[in-house]
Amino acid sequence: MIIEMREFTRVEGNGKAEIVIEDGEVKDVRLQIIEGPRFFELLTLGRHYYDVPDIEARICAICYLSHSVASVIGIERAFGVEVPEEITLLRELGLIGEFLESHSLHLYLLVAPDVFGYPDAIRMATKHGELVKEGLALKAFGNRLRVIVGGREIHGINVKPGGFGRYPTVEELEEIERESEALLRLARRAVRLFAQLGPYGAKAKHFVATDGYLWGEKLISDEPGEFHYTERIEERSLVYSFAKQSLYKGEAFFVGALPRLLLKSEMLTPTAKRLFEEHREKLSTGYVSYNNLAQAIELVYSLEKANEIAKTLLDRGIEGENVPVEPREGEGIGYVEAPRGLLIHHYRTDASGNISYSNIITPTALNHAMIEASLLKEARELYGEVDEGRMIGRLEETVRAFDPCISCSVHLVKL
Amino acid sequence: MMDKLKLGVFELTDCGGCALNILFLYEKLFDLLEFYEITEFHMATSLSEGNHYDVALVTGTVSTQRDLNLLKEARNHSEYLIALGTCATHGSVQGSVELPIREKLKAVYGDGGNPMRALDSKPVVEYVAVDFALPGCPYDKEEVYQVLMDIAKGIEPVRKDYPVCLECKLNEYECVLVKKGLPCLGPITYGGCKAVCVRSGLGCIGCRGPLPGEVNPASEYEILKGLGYDDEYIVRKFKTFARWEP
Ligand code: SF4
Ligand code: SF4
Repeated sequence: MIIEMREFTRVEGNGKAEIVIEDGEVKDVRLQIIEGPRFFELLTLGRHYYDVPDIEARICAICYLSHSVASVIGIERAFGVEVPEEITLLRELGLIGEFLESHSLHLYLLVAPDVFGYPDAIRMATKHGELVKEGLALKAFGNRLRVIVGGREIHGINVKPGGFGRYPTVEELEEIERESEALLRLARRAVRLFAQLGPYGAKAKHFVATDGYLWGEKLISDEPGEFHYTERIEERSLVYSFAKQSLYKGEAFFVGALPRLLLKSEMLTPTAKRLFEEHREKLSTGYVSYNNLAQAIELVYSLEKANEIAKTLLDRGIEGENVPVEPREGEGIGYVEAPRGLLIHHYRTDASGNISYSNIITPTALNHAMIEASLLKEARELYGEVDEGRMIGRLEETVRAFDPCISCSVHLVKL
Repeated sequence: MMDKLKLGVFELTDCGGCALNILFLYEKLFDLLEFYEITEFHMATSLSEGNHYDVALVTGTVSTQRDLNLLKEARNHSEYLIALGTCATHGSVQGSVELPIREKLKAVYGDGGNPMRALDSKPVVEYVAVDFALPGCPYDKEEVYQVLMDIAKGIEPVRKDYPVCLECKLNEYECVLVKKGLPCLGPITYGGCKAVCVRSGLGCIGCRGPLPGEVNPASEYEILKGLGYDDEYIVRKFKTFARWEP
């Protein structure tokens, strides 16, 4: 017998799951990403490098900037281009904007209704209007950063190989400094709220993240040594899903806010680090549901970090100079921490700067096996114990904890 | 009080941006909710109670059999259907991969056939008649607000029919095509975005789709050739968002 979950709600994109029951027991769970394939790697093949980050941005609206930045870094590495600190700081500022926008969307509009027992945030707003407003304020600030750095709230084209179309003004940096300080109070409140969610889903055995907090040169995991993804991560196609599944040394693994905190807590900002220590015991159990709490702590991190970056840039002043980019034959990988987790853009380029190979692996594809493992564990615990409606409700919450971004999961290619 | 209009948001295959942009309306969303009741919007709510919609917003391309079924359902149960965003109006980026679906699937997934029934990505307008088409990847959120308000007040919304160039002139942005020699599709692209990319000093990449009518892609082509871009580059640039025309 197969229990079919209807399409997930309050997640981005189209997915569902099937629970396979045999002899009265849960035998298997299949996560089906039914969003159609979008073939981004084919789309960028042969295209001139300059146009590629703007196309890649379209992979996902919630984390468009992570895609443009990963793409830009991959291209720069292929060409051997190095950018100065000013440019990396600004890219980080954009990525922080995306953390704020994405985490607050997820926590306040998609997860909070579970905490308070509502079908959505709009209906929740009648009783908890303040909270919804706080979430929207954080989100709006995140989007403001995406406008300033990325050019638009969604799919801006300002992030380019070698620099930016336009650099922020002093007024904008002052605004960021001010706002990030003012909003910190709300983020701290979010930590208290989402610390209430209990453990569910599987306990992750492996975690993977980039070696820097927001992006990196290489990857790290719970095992020693830095590595390139090709050394430990493998992808496979599934007949029941448009997303491929990735495995770390043959096993399910977890990318996202919780893995970032667990692997990189020493890189956190002061208050975020304190909050992490406060909840460390809980978080270290590795239950996927604690990803929500980890995201709340990252809201604090993001605001503190944005403040710090704005101050640094105001002190040194902005030069606004792009680095010249000379195309050449090469190969490069961009590793970025999208809000939902690790994002990989891997390119080869020809001598005139056109893309000759492209591989993109997104967080949802990396987490695919982990989501299935979590659903399996929950379904085994709940099947026969509670009625089917409640079981499915909990399974949906389990999927939601990953904050899966489904549109971005459907275009993985090895050519 | 008058009954609220029933609004459904349907997402086919896309990046989620056109649906997300509705949530980015912030307090204006609450203004809209004075006139509308959202009865289907699965990114935002777990409720799904509609079987009739006064207005249906459909985003994305038809890229699977599931998308096609959903689109037909939206069309059959709605009074006024809006193709929202360049995916829905022109196919956007995924619509521009020209290989047949079998070859695309093979390149990406290997020899597994087509078990999930993927189709070649096409815009909504290729399959059903729409009452209004609002392009943009994503569209400007003020625009969807205006369109929904117009409909709520019984006014037929108007489609913009001027190029991005006009918006540069209104905002006094320096022309990047002439001044910087950047490839800019502003002269042949639907306006309505306030030329936001040119504001960043970059060329328009045509995300709102080609403006039909008197504008002349041939002259744009000549300009880009003059700037030293080769045929293939120009053709691919033109088709990035719009292989299909409504
Ligand atoms: S038109 Fe662009 S923003 Fe809208 S759904 Fe399609 S890809 Fe996303
Ligand atoms: S300027 Fe061009 S690319 Fe930019 S938003 Fe407007 S239509 Fe789209």
